[in-house]
Amino acid sequence: MTPHVALLVKGLSVLGFIAVSAMFLIWLERKVSAWIQNRMGPMAAGFHGSLQPIADTIKLLLKEDIVPTGIDKMTWWLAPFFVTVPAVMAFLVMPFSAKLIVNDLNLGVLYICSITSVCVLGIFMAGWGSNNKYSLLGGMRSAAQIISYEVPLLLSVLVVVMEAGTLSMQGIVHAQHDLWFIAKPNLAVAFLIYFISSTAEVNRVPFDIPEAESELVAGYHTEYTGMKFAMFFVAEYTNMFIVSAIAATLFLGGWQGPFLPGLAWFLIKSYGMIFLMMWMRWTLPRVRMDQMMSFAWKLLTPIALLNLLISGWLLVR
Amino acid sequence: MMKIWLYIKKFLIACFSILKGFNVTFKNMFKKPVTLDYPRKKQAMKERFRGMVDLYPEDCVICYQCIKICPTAALELAHKTAEDKKKDITKFEFNAELCCFCGLCEEICPTDAIFLNKMYEVSYFDHKDMLNIDLMNNDKYKKVGGHKLEPKVVPVKEEVVPPPTPEGTKPNV
Repeated sequence: MTPHVALLVKGLSVLGFIAVSAMFLIWLERKVSAWIQNRMGPMAAGFHGSLQPIADTIKLLLKEDIVPTGIDKMTWWLAPFFVTVPAVMAFLVMPFSAKLIVNDLNLGVLYICSITSVCVLGIFMAGWGSNNKYSLLGGMRSAAQIISYEVPLLLSVLVVVMEAGTLSMQGIVHAQHDLWFIAKPNLAVAFLIYFISSTAEVNRVPFDIPEAESELVAGYHTEYTGMKFAMFFVAEYTNMFIVSAIAATLFLGGWQGPFLPGLAWFLIKSYGMIFLMMWMRWTLPRVRMDQMMSFAWKLLTPIALLNLLISGWLLVR
Repeated sequence: MMKIWLYIKKFLIACFSILKGFNVTFKNMFKKPVTLDYPRKKQAMKERFRGMVDLYPEDCVICYQCIKICPTAALELAHKTAEDKKKDITKFEFNAELCCFCGLCEEICPTDAIFLNKMYEVSYFDHKDMLNIDLMNNDKYKKVGGHKLEPKVVPVKEEVVPPPTPEGTKPNV
């Protein structure tokens, strides 16, 4: 197999995985919300609504693509790509199992952290380009929120990098061969910080103020319809998978585990984290903008810094 | 110093209450759903539910009580008398658009011939269909409620009232 064909196969399998995963997650989200609210959820298409996401996809593909007047054309058209492409690119260094990884960069963690930060640009572009006050508010809130929560997120990831002594994703997984990182107290704190800030990073409840349905009518993607909206939707769920997969890799031992193959363990851990996020969504109410910002800067960042200091001390002791 | 302790106390209470909320939602996840898988399973109506006006033509004694008491004049009745003074209904029509579902006709009827059945899916495809419903026709409510699809009706609890049938049943007394 020539290297070009290999690249093509890898890229296509990543795209296929993203599509299937997003579809499954949309179904799971609806089912989990239904279970928690004592409803049944989608039941009509397929066994317990298992074909519902396919029906949704077909509906979104066939829908009319409405272009509102007075938009900033260039920004508006490019925004969905700026949101979706980084989400796809992040899969470059995702260690699905010992062998199953597109490319194990030696700067994997740095790469993934920098590439996922581009998402905020797309969200802000969507908010700005829509020529809609709610979209702009959503975009601005999103920019403030994601940039604020990036600080504790990266500080907590830094603790893992210090502990493992490498930036490569596979290297970090191998460093957890004997003991998962979450079992160490300072890394457990880092995990908690990572989980909270990653929830904020992917704009999920209780930190979903960029798209707050009840106040901003879905925020930055209010004006998007059809396929463009679908791209935002897929990007949202893919980002959710990415942060969960990073959590599984950095703290929960990645693809390592007894009996089952590596891929199965990786998926179980990632989807477990996603389930936790969904569970949280239907438990906690949305926080206010100022509460959220003060929580990031006044509580999470100092704790993350302190944790970093303690971890450094533990390492050189 | 006092302030810091207060802050920590509040923080711990907040953490505890968040965990409590998680517990509540987790327990709810395994409860039986309170909603129904609607078109496939249907709610049995209560005993006093007032659906569409229905008639047992053989029980009717043509006393015109229902016509007189109807506050909206939704019912229309006509009869002819044979030589042996035997009365026959020539026309008994029900206008669902005028009906206010007060149930007075059911109350006044001396022989319980006219009654309100348990139907609740009463949307029609054509406006004209609901103007003059022939109560003498047994199949009058067969077309109602988009029944072209004919979904399988599974009663929720057999021991309670049977599910609404287009034909209607004699009301439980």
